[in-house]
Amino acid sequence: MDVRLRKLLGTDTLLPYWLLLPSIVFIGVFFLMPLFNAIMLAFRADNGAFTLDYFKKMVADVRFIEALKYTFLLAITIVPLQLITALAMALLVNTGFRGSRFFLYLFALPLGISDLAAGLIWLSIFTQHGFLNSILYSLGIIERPIYFISYQNTGLTFLAVVMAEHWRATAIVLVILVAGLQMISKDYLEAAEVLGARGWKKVWYVILPMLKPSLQSALIIRTIFALQTFAVVLALAGDIIPVLAGEAYFWHFLYRNSHVASAYAVFLMAISIGMTWFYLRFLRSRMEVIRG
Amino acid sequence: MRRFGIIALALLVGSVAGLAAQKITWMSTQFVPIAEAEFVRNEILAPFAEATGIEVEFIGAEYAEFVSRVEAEYEAGKGEIAVLCGLHGDFVSVLDALADLSEVSPGGTISDTLMKLGQMAGKQAYIPLMQATYLMVVNKKALDYLPEGADIWALTYDELLQWAKNIYEATGVQKLGIPAGPKSLLHRFIHGYLYPSFTGYQVLAFDSGAAVKMWKYMQELWQYVNPAAPTWDAMDTPLLSEEVWIAWDHTARVKQAIVERPDDFIAIPSPAGPAGRGFITVLAGLAIPETSPNPDAAAELIEYLTTPEVQVKILQGVGFFPVVAEAAGAVPSGALQILAKGVSAQAASPDAIVSFIPGGISDEYKKIYKDTFFKFVIKGEPVDVEFLRSQATRLRELYLEAGAPYPAPDGG
Repeated sequence: MDVRLRKLLGTDTLLPYWLLLPSIVFIGVFFLMPLFNAIMLAFRADNGAFTLDYFKKMVADVRFIEALKYTFLLAITIVPLQLITALAMALLVNTGFRGSRFFLYLFALPLGISDLAAGLIWLSIFTQHGFLNSILYSLGIIERPIYFISYQNTGLTFLAVVMAEHWRATAIVLVILVAGLQMISKDYLEAAEVLGARGWKKVWYVILPMLKPSLQSALIIRTIFALQTFAVVLALAGDIIPVLAGEAYFWHFLYRNSHVASAYAVFLMAISIGMTWFYLRFLRSRMEVIRG
Repeated sequence: MRRFGIIALALLVGSVAGLAAQKITWMSTQFVPIAEAEFVRNEILAPFAEATGIEVEFIGAEYAEFVSRVEAEYEAGKGEIAVLCGLHGDFVSVLDALADLSEVSPGGTISDTLMKLGQMAGKQAYIPLMQATYLMVVNKKALDYLPEGADIWALTYDELLQWAKNIYEATGVQKLGIPAGPKSLLHRFIHGYLYPSFTGYQVLAFDSGAAVKMWKYMQELWQYVNPAAPTWDAMDTPLLSEEVWIAWDHTARVKQAIVERPDDFIAIPSPAGPAGRGFITVLAGLAIPETSPNPDAAAELIEYLTTPEVQVKILQGVGFFPVVAEAAGAVPSGALQILAKGVSAQAASPDAIVSFIPGGISDEYKKIYKDTFFKFVIKGEPVDVEFLRSQATRLRELYLEAGAPYPAPDGG
């Protein structure tokens, strides 16, 4: 490196920090500042006084309990389902059979579709005159359309949302797991084979433990995103299934109360932080057992 | 200093206007977007100038500008503006400055219901010009199931229930549509249609016995409402796909269905409840300030703007519906004619209870109406008076916090 530049940047020990600076500024301006503002909005009244009124209002909201319930239900249904599917898909792709790359691209395709668009695609499948009803009808299975999306059948509506989310967001887990799988050295697998491990045994005793760091990242990312699920639910289920992120959006844009909207956002953030902490703690201790 | 400037300007312009007697100024909070203003200048005012020799200068203004200017001219005792156009609420703010228009005759027949809305402070403060509203659109296939004795142009909520029930029993499908999606105008249906029809008020009787009956009625009606309703923001698509045959919504949100298949649909007034036929009118009108430099030319312009021909032009140009009875028949056939007929019939209903949209308060009031609907109707929980009472308290607080009057029919 140029001597003058080196002088300007300080010693070598400082260099990494200089290189990190642009990201830090970016995160500061676009994440930390809005975050700070949201927290301020949630806790401060218009006259500047500290208040818990907005949180009280949030909890007293007729839709709060429903939104909380569905947010958690969605997360605990979708995340494990996605993890299992993504793992199966990643293992399949990783066997390296002819055309496995094609499958990787095919599986990753939904990544390129915006969540609202994905919601609308699935809506066109599930509405009364949608593709699914048309197919069932033309096959003579049903006589009149089934209401898949209906306030009378929230279970079915919930299932539709789960399917749409599952289709849309499993790819991100897949990509993380494929990357993790490719980092596992062939030596371990060969050693396992020499020692007589075949098929599932190899997966269970070698691949899965070594994949744990990737699984952990995938879990954290997916859980946080699942808690924020909103556009797909809005497009598919409208007002039938309220979720926390949706309520924040409505308070801000429909009822124009940014304070309560921020209270929802801060509450959601607290849950996300809590879940992340839980994963880090829970999965790390098991990792140590394995390493030990 | 600023006031002096305005007075000087007014005097100056006033004297200039005096010289060229047949040039007047029209200030309006409506037609403000450039395309609409151009439409008014070229399609409405140019022919007027040709026919009468009165040249009208059109000035679009925001609400605040409108109010401060009208007040300034009134206080100065002399003005430049000859005619005003605004929403009902715009005129409420400048009532003192408006001349009595009892002697001004509109160019067509305006229903008493609408005319009376323009009567405030003991005078005819404005003459209605145009309206926007929400009504029902019906697929003609549904007419076969109309309950006996029901008049489609004067439907009641009980008949609507029976009608939807008839269709359900005959076809096995819930063909009634109410937009109840997150971005729907459901709150308008509740505060401007249901509440006034059942209780006579949109705020004052929120937790009354009549309101309890109303919510119980809605629970019953909801059985025949298409179960996908909570996902719909506008009713044009479900009407076109025939997921519903009967739908309520804003004219702009059902128009596309009728445009695409004008032969299949009719537009009818919203139903009436025990208290009357509650509906919302977004009403714009014309007024003449006390200080108008040329009230005669202004009156002539008002007469011209309320002729059926011009009313139809306004409908075609900016989508606001006529207030003049003759205009509905003068609309060329097609979607607009179908809608205009429904709008006109609704406005002329003898049992009308006109509601205005709340102004000046937090948008949270929408949530109060929608949440109550969500709890009692969508979730189907038993109607709970305690809950109604707490929602009513919150609703009144919103008006109190903003110092805003209750909108019609409650007051203001």
